[in-house]
Parts: sequence; structure tokens; C-alpha cells
Amino acid sequence: MATEFHNLQELRHSASLETKVFIQRDYTEGTVCRFQTKFPSELDNRIERTLLEETVKTLNSYYVEAEKIGGQSYLEGCLACATAYIIFLCMETRYEKVLRKISGYIQEQNEKIYAPRGLLLTDPIERGMRVVSFTVLSVQLEISIFEDQGSGTSSPSSSSMSSTGSAR
Amino acid sequence: MPGGSSKSGGRGPSSSPLPHTVVPPSRPLRPSRYVPVSAATFFLVGSTTLFFCFTCPWLSEHFSLAVPIYNGVIFLFVLANFCMATFMDPGIFPRAEEDEDKEDDFRAPLYKTVEIRGIQVRMKWCSTCRFYRPPRCSHCSVCDNCVEDFDHHCPWVNNCIGRRNYRYFFLFLLSLTAHIMAIFGFGLLFILYHRQNIDRLHAIVTLAVMCVAGLFFIPVAGLTGFHIVLVARGRTTNEQVTGKFRGGVNPFTNGCWRNVSHVLCSSQAPRYLGRKKCVQSVCVQPPFLRPQLTEAQLAAKILDNGIQGDLHRSKSSLEMMESQSCDAEPPPPPKPELRYPGISRGNTEECSLLNNAPPTPTMYKYRPTYSPGKNHTALTHAYANQASQQPGFRSQPSLDRRDTSSDRARGGGSGERREGGREVVAGGIPGYSLGGRSYPSFSDSTVLSGVASRSSSSTHTSTGAIHVSEATTSASFKSLASQTPPPHQTSRNGSLSYDTGSREMLRFSPSHPITTTAPPTTTTILFSIARPLPHPPPHHLLQRESALLGEPHLSPHPPPANQASAPPSSSAPPPSHHHHHHHHHHHSHHHHHHSSSSSISRPPRFPAPHAPLHHAYPYRTRSTDTPLGPSSTSTSHPPNSPHPPPLGKSLSYSSAAAAEMQYRLVRKASAGGMGGGGIQAPKDELIQMKPQSRINGGQALSSTSSSCSAPSSPSHLVSVSARPGVAYPSSTLMQSPTHKTQGGGVKKVTGVGGTTYEISV
Repeated sequence: MATEFHNLQELRHSASLETKVFIQRDYTEGTVCRFQTKFPSELDNRIERTLLEETVKTLNSYYVEAEKIGGQSYLEGCLACATAYIIFLCMETRYEKVLRKISGYIQEQNEKIYAPRGLLLTDPIERGMRVVSFTVLSVQLEISIFEDQGSGTSSPSSSSMSSTGSAR
Repeated sequence: MPGGSSKSGGRGPSSSPLPHTVVPPSRPLRPSRYVPVSAATFFLVGSTTLFFCFTCPWLSEHFSLAVPIYNGVIFLFVLANFCMATFMDPGIFPRAEEDEDKEDDFRAPLYKTVEIRGIQVRMKWCSTCRFYRPPRCSHCSVCDNCVEDFDHHCPWVNNCIGRRNYRYFFLFLLSLTAHIMAIFGFGLLFILYHRQNIDRLHAIVTLAVMCVAGLFFIPVAGLTGFHIVLVARGRTTNEQVTGKFRGGVNPFTNGCWRNVSHVLCSSQAPRYLGRKKCVQSVCVQPPFLRPQLTEAQLAAKILDNGIQGDLHRSKSSLEMMESQSCDAEPPPPPKPELRYPGISRGNTEECSLLNNAPPTPTMYKYRPTYSPGKNHTALTHAYANQASQQPGFRSQPSLDRRDTSSDRARGGGSGERREGGREVVAGGIPGYSLGGRSYPSFSDSTVLSGVASRSSSSTHTSTGAIHVSEATTSASFKSLASQTPPPHQTSRNGSLSYDTGSREMLRFSPSHPITTTAPPTTTTILFSIARPLPHPPPHHLLQRESALLGEPHLSPHPPPANQASAPPSSSAPPPSHHHHHHHHHHHSHHHHHHSSSSSISRPPRFPAPHAPLHHAYPYRTRSTDTPLGPSSTSTSHPPNSPHPPPLGKSLSYSSAAAAEMQYRLVRKASAGGMGGGGIQAPKDELIQMKPQSRINGGQALSSTSSSCSAPSSPSHLVSVSARPGVAYPSSTLMQSPTHKTQGGGVKKVTGVGGTTYEISV
């Protein structure tokens, strides 16, 4: 049983069809962090345009908020200077706070909107904020034959599997 | 001092660009890197300590306590900023993962232009980091990283100055200037009051400290002033020094005040490396919701099977595809393949080889700097060299390396190293990689057949190597990637691939875009066709070629929609695939002409991949060998394209073709030494072989496939336009006569339609 499960795990991990769709950065306003809201054609039949665009727009607004130069960031800088930057060991910067919010938002979006459609949105910070990637998961029918692990379970198993993906 | 203690390269991890690993790659310890930072630290700390010990006590007594306090604060500020500038990640971009690579096909351009506030800014492809550098990003050759908002690499702090630590560097400069001025000033005050007993130790030390301070003041102040101007103008040192905006407009400036506030008051930018990845455990289960599909879309989905689909790489169409690799567009990297270690395959050797897949062979990133002519020659030579060698492509590796080093545009020196390394690894099958590139327009069938024939080659290792190279190749070359590995995986499913003796391999499903990959060791027959392989892996082509050639009995096999089989029709598939290839290129590659040019330049074998198009589809349209007639009479290099088709025809059409070939052979002979016997000879042999191979069921083609890359191949390249597949087989064919005599057993493989193929092993 365990072996079989293990095989299935392997099967699942190795057989999941994953393709990636990327949304690039929008540099029209300089180096501020913005992502293109242009809908990628690969996702045409996977998700509605409005949903995706709304997600990207929300992400963009989060980034604008993170990079905003205002009172809070100025005070943070002064405090850091005054404490010889030791404060960075204890305190979380504004940007980091917003990034946490963003990753929570992405997780929520994945659960609610994207996972039911077989997509997984990844946090752009993992790729250096250069792209927003969507992992497109597909169901794959596969007949896999595993070596008999000696557990007595029959080897060939044809299964249609759902792929479980972990956002990367 | 922190700076001084970092001698042993302990800063490695912080500057590691690899997103996946914590341990950075072992880099050679370069002590010379630490000399400036050590000197700076020594002078800074040493001088200030002396100042505090010898000068400050008297000053604090005679003037006020504020003097040491002020100096202490400034010194602390200097130290803090110095440490932050030294140890903080400047904004290193992690290396792009392989799946991101596929978007930028290796034939994609070196530069991508983006418009920033109305100004065109070029984003250069970084070969080391594998992405297009964002604006203002640059690759530091010292640190071997791409750094965001790259300013410069400062030797005094032994670190790059980028987005994240520019502020600290700037403040370090400002505070250091103030500190030097303070030390010099107070030292001067001390000396002025101690003119009489200047020979006292305190005075001497103070004088020494003043000298050091005075000495460093000029460059430091100069640098500080320089950076004040840069900050005010919103430029980086890199931009200023390279004169990017000389006489032009800087699209990154927001005005003096905003620029300054951005540098000093913006929130600390996050680091990209070393973040703990939060793995989202989201359970994704079918059925998946779908937006309402239009009828047209549905129809397209049903028919296309991922072959056409959205030409723009519709990944969703892959769902029903058995094979992962079947994809019209440049498929994603073949990661899944390498993840199937547990799946037993018919060919255990293949499996084991796959498990030990060497890194992807070097597939050069085709960039504008790739010079076709040079490569052409180089490759030609390579091929010539290969002729004599057994696994045919052994000589390739060096060539590849040479080529890559010469042709590849490099973002950084390290990129070269990495790529060179990959090339070496892929050395085993360099020929394939090269071949793959040279066959841009070859249909999958060609590849498949090539692969199949490869597998049938006597040596499993070569096959395995092929697989490996396939896998690796695909990984490295975006477009190639998808094609190779997946088929192998799906062999089990019988969607494409070849299984030893299994009928599945003979099944042509239009839905299979191609690929194939792992040809079974013994049998190779692969016919795929569905999609032209945009960048068929070189070894695929070889195998296909050999397979095609080796399958004389393909004719009975009904060619699927397109030119699926007929090995001799290798020429045919390529042209047809070439068309598909065009589609692919349009969709998948930014520059189609780029691809075409690159295809020309890439594989010297296929001088003009597009050329075959002109010859139409020998496989489909040409019914006779008429093209050969005129061509054969022409001097020099008669278009080789006619040759392949007829050959193919002969294979598929039984004896009539053979007769034609013989005819052609005779005509060729009469043509005399055209364009060097070398060129002709192989062709003749090729022609000769074909009928023979047909008769003998491909006999030694498979066996000779390993030794492909016959000397004739270069000539074939020249003459046969874009028939990479043919080139290979021709080379193999040349050898086949010899092998033929050696003969091995004739293996019978039963195809899907009950056709029996005889393959001589």
C-alpha cells in the first residue's frame, strides 16, 4: 500500500503536465514594479480575461504601495540611520510588509480562482519580480508501469491523475 | 573589521545567484579581490583609532567633549554604511529557471526593445542568467550576477552597488568625506596648538593621521561629488560612464527632488535571493472550470490535438496529449522526462542513460552575433571530422565549444564558462545538437525516424546518448526541449514514441506533434509528422534520417496527414515541416528570419533550410524523379533536394524508385567530378544505398547511423538544402555498403497497421 502510494506520488509528480505562461513586466513607466495587464493568449480558454486582469492590477497596486515614498518610508530610513541599521534586524521594512500581503493575496487568489481552473499563480518575487508566472496544470492520462517494489502490489496502473502542483 | 575578516571568501553565499541552492558554486579564491577592501578597512579603522587615542583626549579637555562625541558618531555612521555597502545584497537577480527559458527561444534576438516613457530602451539577453536584463540591470563580471539598477562594482567594498545598497554606498561616501574632513580639521587644530612640541609622539601620530586623511580626501571627495551629481540627475555610474544618455534624454529621471528622495527615503528594496520559498500547497484537481469556449475553439481543440492549437503555444491543448512533448510550439523544457526514473522502460539502457543524463548539450543561443558563415565552415569541418569517428559526433563537442565561444554573445564571462561546460557534457552527442539545429525545418517524422534508426543502431549507448542528449538538448534549447524528452516519456503511453517491437510506435497520430525521442533500441521506425520540429534535436534528426533510410518498407505505412514516413522522404518531411516550421517560428520565435538565418548558419549541414521549400514537397508533390534529371546534369552541386525526395519515393514506392535511383546514379556518374567527388560521391552512395537499404530493410543504416556524419555530410549540407536529415542518412548510407556486407540479422518489427518492417541490425 505504502509502496503503491509512493509510486502514485512519483507518478503524479513526474507525470503532471505543467506548462508555464509568463506575464512580463511593464516598463513603460520606468523601473517601478508593474506587470503587463495584457492577457496572454495561452490562457484564453482557461480563465476569463477580467479575472486575470483584475489580479494583475491588484498586484500592481500593491507594488505601488510598497514603493511609495512617503512619511512611513522616510521615518523608517531615519530610524535605521539613527540606530546604525541595527533596527533592520528587528523590524520588518515597509516593502517586506507589503510583500507578505501580496503573497497572502496570491495564495487566496490561487485557492479561489486559479486552482479550480487548473492554474497556479506564482509570486513574482521568487523570480526577481521580473515575471508573473502561471503554471498551467493539465490532467494527464497515463499508463504507468512501475517496477514491482516487492510489496506484492500489481505494477501496472492506469490512472488519470490530477496533478498537484506547488507554486514555484 | 568586517571587511578584513571576509578574506576567506565567506561572502560567497550572499552573492550566489543561484536561486535553488544555498551553497554557491565553488569559485576560485581570489585574494586579490580582498586587497582594496582590506586596505580601506585598515586605513579607516586604523587612522580613526589613532585619532581617538592620541588627538581626541587633549581636544576634549581643551575644547569640549563634543569633539570626540561628534567624531564618534560620524565614525559610527561611516562604519555602519560601510558594512551595509559591503555585505548587503545589491539586488542580485536569481538565475532564471529553465521553464522561463523556453519563452525566449535560443533563436530569439539578443536584444529586446521596450519603450520607457517614449524612449526606446534595449534589454539585452543575459546568457548567464538566462533572461532579458531589465532596464538598468547589468551583469557584473566580478560577481557573476545580474544586479538590478547596477551602478558599479566597488573594489573598496568588494561588492556591487545596486538598487538595494546604493543608498548605503552614497551615505558612506558622504559620511566618509565628513569624517575625513573632521579628522583633518581637528588634527590640524591639535598641531597648531602643539607647534612647539611637535616632536612629541602625540603630535607625530596626529601628523601621520592628517597625512593619511589628506591623501584620501581628494579621491573620496571627488567620488562623493560625482555621485551627488548622479543622484541629482537620476543616473547610475554605469549609465554615466558608458554615455548612454549623452545628449539624450534619461527616461529614468523624475526630477532632482524626486531622484534624491528616491535614493534616500525610499523603502528598503527586498532581496531576491535567499528568500524562503513559501510552498503553496494548493490542491489542484480536475475537473477544471473553463470559460465558455466558442464553437470554433472547440473544433480547433478537437482537431488540433495540440499540433496547431493556438499557434502561440497553447499549453492547454496539451491536456489530452499523451505525450508531453507533443506541442507545436517550442515545448517546455523536458523536465518531466528526467523525473521518470522510476518508470521502467523497454530499453533499460536508455533509462539508465536518461537517468544519468548529462546536462543539456550546448545548444547555442542563436543571437545576432552568431555568424553563419563561420559556423557553417566550422560545422562543416566538424562533420568532416566526424566521418571517421565512430559515434559520429565525438568531434562535435570541441567544435561546439569553439562555436559557442566564438559566436555566442556573452553577457558575462561566466556565462561562457557555463555554456562551455554544458557543451562539454553534451559532447557525446554534439552531432545531434548540431544536427538538431541544422534541421530547423525538419518535421518530426524526420526526427523520429532518425531517432528510431538511432535506436536501432547496434550501440545502445549511442542511443542512450541520444536520448540523453535529447533530453539535455531540449533543456538547453528552448524549442528543442519540448520535443525530445516528452516523447520518450510518452512512449509508454504509446502515443508516439517507439517501443521496441511495439505497435505503438508505428502509430501515427496527427495529434502527436512530433517528437519522439527515445527510439527503441532495436527498432526505430518513427514517423511522426504532425508537426515540424521547430528545432528538432540534432540526434533526433540523425536517428530519423537513419530510421527513415532504414525503413524500406515504409511505403505501406499510410503516411498520416502529412508526410509522415518514408525515410527517403526525409527531404519531403523537411519541406513540409519547414512550412510548419515557419508557423512555429512566427509564433514562437520572435524573428522568423532570425531562425531561418540561424538555421542556415547553425547547422552547416543545412545551408538553406528554406531551400527545400522551393523544391516543394518532394514527398508529397513529386511523383517522379524528374527533378533529379536536370539537377544531376548540372554541374557543381546539383540541388540535392531532388535527391532526397526521389529516394524517399523509392522507398515508399517500391522498385520503381529504385530504378530511378539507379538511373540517377548513372547520370551522376556521367556528370563527372562535379564539385568535388566528395560531394558527389556520398550522394551517389546515398542513392545507391537507398535502393539497397530498401531491399535489405535498412540494413546497416541503423548501424551506420552511429557513424553518421560522414565526410559527405558537409557536402550534403551544401548541396542539399535544408535536408539535414538527409545529410545524416547519406553519411550513414555511405557506410552502409560496408556494413551491409557485414550484415546482421534482419529484424522484423510489426507496425501498427500490421505492416512489417524489416530492419537489419
